[in-house]
Amino acid sequence: MAKVQYPNPKFFKAKDNIDWKKQGENLMEVVGIFGDMLKETDWQQYGKNCLSVLKSDGERIKGEFSDFMALSNDEKWDRVVNGERSLGRLYRKGAMCTVRREWRGVVDTAYDFWEWARMWGMLLMTFSKDLIPAMNSALWYRWMISYFCCHGFMDKNIMGLRGSNLRMSHAATFSIFRYVAENLVLLSKADRKNGNSTELNKMLFTFDEMTMGQIAAGFPDLLAIPHQLLPMFLVSEIDQLVCIPYIDAVESYGLPSDTCPVPSSECGALVIDALPDMGSLFISSSMPCDGSTMASSYFARRFPNIPVFHLCFPVRYADEETVQMGADDIKACIKAIEDATGAKWNWDHYFECMKRFNQETDLELQKWEINKSSKPQFIGPSYELFRKWNYEMDGGIDPRVLPEMQKMNQMLQRAYERGESAWPERKMKYRALVWSCPAHYYANFSNWLANCWGVDVLVEMESLNYTKHLETEDKEEALRDLARLYERMVMRRHTNGGYQNVVDECWRQCEAWNAKLVIMYQNVACKNMATVQGLLDEQGRQRGYDLIWVEHDLMDPRTVSRRTMRDKVNEYMRTVMRAEPVDPSLVEFEDEVCM
Amino acid sequence: MKDLKHLIYFEGLLENADNALIEKKKKDGGICLGYTCFHIPEVLLNVDRCFSTRLRAPNTGSIDIATYYMSNYTCEYARALLERAIEGGYRFLDALIGVDACSMMNRSMEHFEILQVNEKPDFFVTHTDMPFKITDYTVEGYRRQMRVRVLDRLTEVFGVDTSDAAIRKAVEEHNEVCRIIQELSQLRKKENPVLTGYEFHVLNLVTYVCPKGEILPYLQETLEEVKKRKPDKKNPYRARVAIVGSEIDDPSLTKLIEGCGALVVSDRYCFGSTPGREVIELKDDEDALTQICRHYMEVSECARYISDEKVLQRRETSDRLAKEFGAEGIIYEQMKYCDYWGFERALVSHIMHDEYGWPVLSVDRLYNNGNSGQLRTRVQAFVESLEIKRIHKEEGKA
Repeated sequence: MAKVQYPNPKFFKAKDNIDWKKQGENLMEVVGIFGDMLKETDWQQYGKNCLSVLKSDGERIKGEFSDFMALSNDEKWDRVVNGERSLGRLYRKGAMCTVRREWRGVVDTAYDFWEWARMWGMLLMTFSKDLIPAMNSALWYRWMISYFCCHGFMDKNIMGLRGSNLRMSHAATFSIFRYVAENLVLLSKADRKNGNSTELNKMLFTFDEMTMGQIAAGFPDLLAIPHQLLPMFLVSEIDQLVCIPYIDAVESYGLPSDTCPVPSSECGALVIDALPDMGSLFISSSMPCDGSTMASSYFARRFPNIPVFHLCFPVRYADEETVQMGADDIKACIKAIEDATGAKWNWDHYFECMKRFNQETDLELQKWEINKSSKPQFIGPSYELFRKWNYEMDGGIDPRVLPEMQKMNQMLQRAYERGESAWPERKMKYRALVWSCPAHYYANFSNWLANCWGVDVLVEMESLNYTKHLETEDKEEALRDLARLYERMVMRRHTNGGYQNVVDECWRQCEAWNAKLVIMYQNVACKNMATVQGLLDEQGRQRGYDLIWVEHDLMDPRTVSRRTMRDKVNEYMRTVMRAEPVDPSLVEFEDEVCM
Repeated sequence: MKDLKHLIYFEGLLENADNALIEKKKKDGGICLGYTCFHIPEVLLNVDRCFSTRLRAPNTGSIDIATYYMSNYTCEYARALLERAIEGGYRFLDALIGVDACSMMNRSMEHFEILQVNEKPDFFVTHTDMPFKITDYTVEGYRRQMRVRVLDRLTEVFGVDTSDAAIRKAVEEHNEVCRIIQELSQLRKKENPVLTGYEFHVLNLVTYVCPKGEILPYLQETLEEVKKRKPDKKNPYRARVAIVGSEIDDPSLTKLIEGCGALVVSDRYCFGSTPGREVIELKDDEDALTQICRHYMEVSECARYISDEKVLQRRETSDRLAKEFGAEGIIYEQMKYCDYWGFERALVSHIMHDEYGWPVLSVDRLYNNGNSGQLRTRVQAFVESLEIKRIHKEEGKA
């Protein structure tokens, strides 16, 4: 089999067919909007706000300086070498970003800036592969603007980190951002509103973000993009406000507000035309839950030009009687892709990718072993996101990821042998698990938990998925294995197939990770989890676990704000645990509009 | 119109999940199987000594304990069943045939097991997997689920005969009930019908909750009575509507709508007659179980089926029924917190209006609605709008 370069250069080289007249019209519309905004701006108030920001900056700098000078010499040295301790200072009321980057000590700050620059370099190089459609996306889609803040996202996910955990987190973030950047460029090229590359669209199929990417491993000549991932799912982790217009749009259309914000936002994005029109086929999915199943009819209606294949998996996945039905549907899906694109399924390439995926799974298990120990090493939001992305979207397809993971594991092993800790020692007070789905609009909540209260989230429920090796020789069994994998996608592995998968499993994992504290997320619209909350509560108490219930609305911070989420933990820690905060500046701060 | 002879008796049968006919059948050695969802082929639960009852929780009051277990933003039907189960209201069941079709109902069934709400030593809850689309392999998957998770369990636990012959016998009795309901249903097409929507709702509902053999004589007698029934001289209703949507097992909802002046002429909802009361035609050259599974998949109107042809089928069925039964508007309803119908209702209520040209009332509702003032106001407004449309039409304005 001829080696296929990844990502295939022909995707980037595909010819664009930009309709310049249409772009011109859109540009005029955008200019009009900006014009209206400028006209409606109260410039006097704006001037006052700028002055107020300057004044606040001045006061902050003065305060930071005097606080520093008030420290003893040893403490001063500690701050220079190990970094600052009051991270609440980085937030300012009404600001959309932090006031500055974090001081992590000389070495780590220098390293952090190196990674910051490396990320910029990668982004510029990637976008330069076809800059015009990519930048033009910003004129079509408001979500594209949020990606300009991706460095801020990186910063917030590594807040408070030092040493090896910081380095591993950067490595993980880099892999994800590269995937995002490449797909943003290709998505913009393919979008019929924008780059309109007929050549690329012939090679492109898209799939529901709520399914897995591994099926693309059998089509090395094709590009597969999760359709809503970049315009909605991932960007909602970067910018907490981005899904609000989608949710409002679809609720105005008539959708009840009690439905899960993921399918609601997907449908809302369709209502306000925020999804690109691209690809030769869309693979919809019945996963992970009832709401997501229903979003596919909205997609089919918005894009009647794109054929849809509905990839559906049995819900009772532990019942081996059902596996063949899943495998048969994968076969049908492969045929649908072949029919739509003219490409042929390539077993050799599929097996090659799955061998890689199996190796990546082994590396993941090594991380778990170390994180289960008394010296966990690689924890925090960057790792949590990386695990989900690697399992769900990369899936062994990108050959660059395996060596990067190997490098991460080397760092992990070294850090463990040296006796490092994932967070500075004072922040390693409580071992915790996260159960249920975390809030997208508070992607770095586990980071705050550690920085503020010393609660260290060792693993999330969503990370604990299928870890068996996939079959890489027998073709029929390989399809059955792929079905087993898909059926155990993120979230679905726990919330589907019977309460044992989420209730009994929680206690099993608490024991395995030696965690007594559980951050019990309560997505107020997740019926799969809501319907076991009594059982979790009852059994958790019987077993002597500390459960902190934290409500959230996944993608809508208006229902439960970040601050309200923090308050739930603050109150529990104060009143039940009788704990003192590690960093009091993080107990109360304003981030209502902060990305 | 003169009251139906057995109407009060039928209403009485609906007052409790465990009714007189169920008790009678059990005394005669019947095995009572509870189920909640159309995805479980009702006819399979009526093989040999078994008989089915579709679970309801009539006269539900507080659902606080179920809310503790399942939270307050989940389907009230699922919670009402759990509450009733915890109270001991389903101790008469011998088994519960559950489906993992919607998560909330599945969890409700799981709580039956975990909280051990039925103390019978042989009582079991079985969970079955339902397909999302119709293909050869999903029909086969469905068949296997019904064989392994339902029929074989019945044989193992109760020694029930689930052979092809036994299934075919159950189909015969099932079809007899269906034919009567179909015939009654057709009478609703008349301009001045001899059967109200409420009466039909009650008649249809008793066929779901009572043993078929026990209810059949009453149904036959009622059919003859209705055929001879004289309608009121002046049609008391101001409009005719079709209902489409999720589970309705409470006839007082139909009563409420008809109390607002809208005769309910078509019932395309779970527990309604479409789907559910279609005659099952069996061929001799294929096993009965496969044919039954295919039949149920084909006639199902559940929003959970996501394939394009089923999505279209749902819209076409709503349109067809509304036309056939002379409806002037469609009420799209959903049980609050139902994800499937929440998405379906939002989209299709627009489509039925914009593309099929139907006046549509789109509502979400609680499990028990008999006294909902809010719902009454909305239906009244809808009836008025239908009247105005009719006047405009007569005046040639629309």
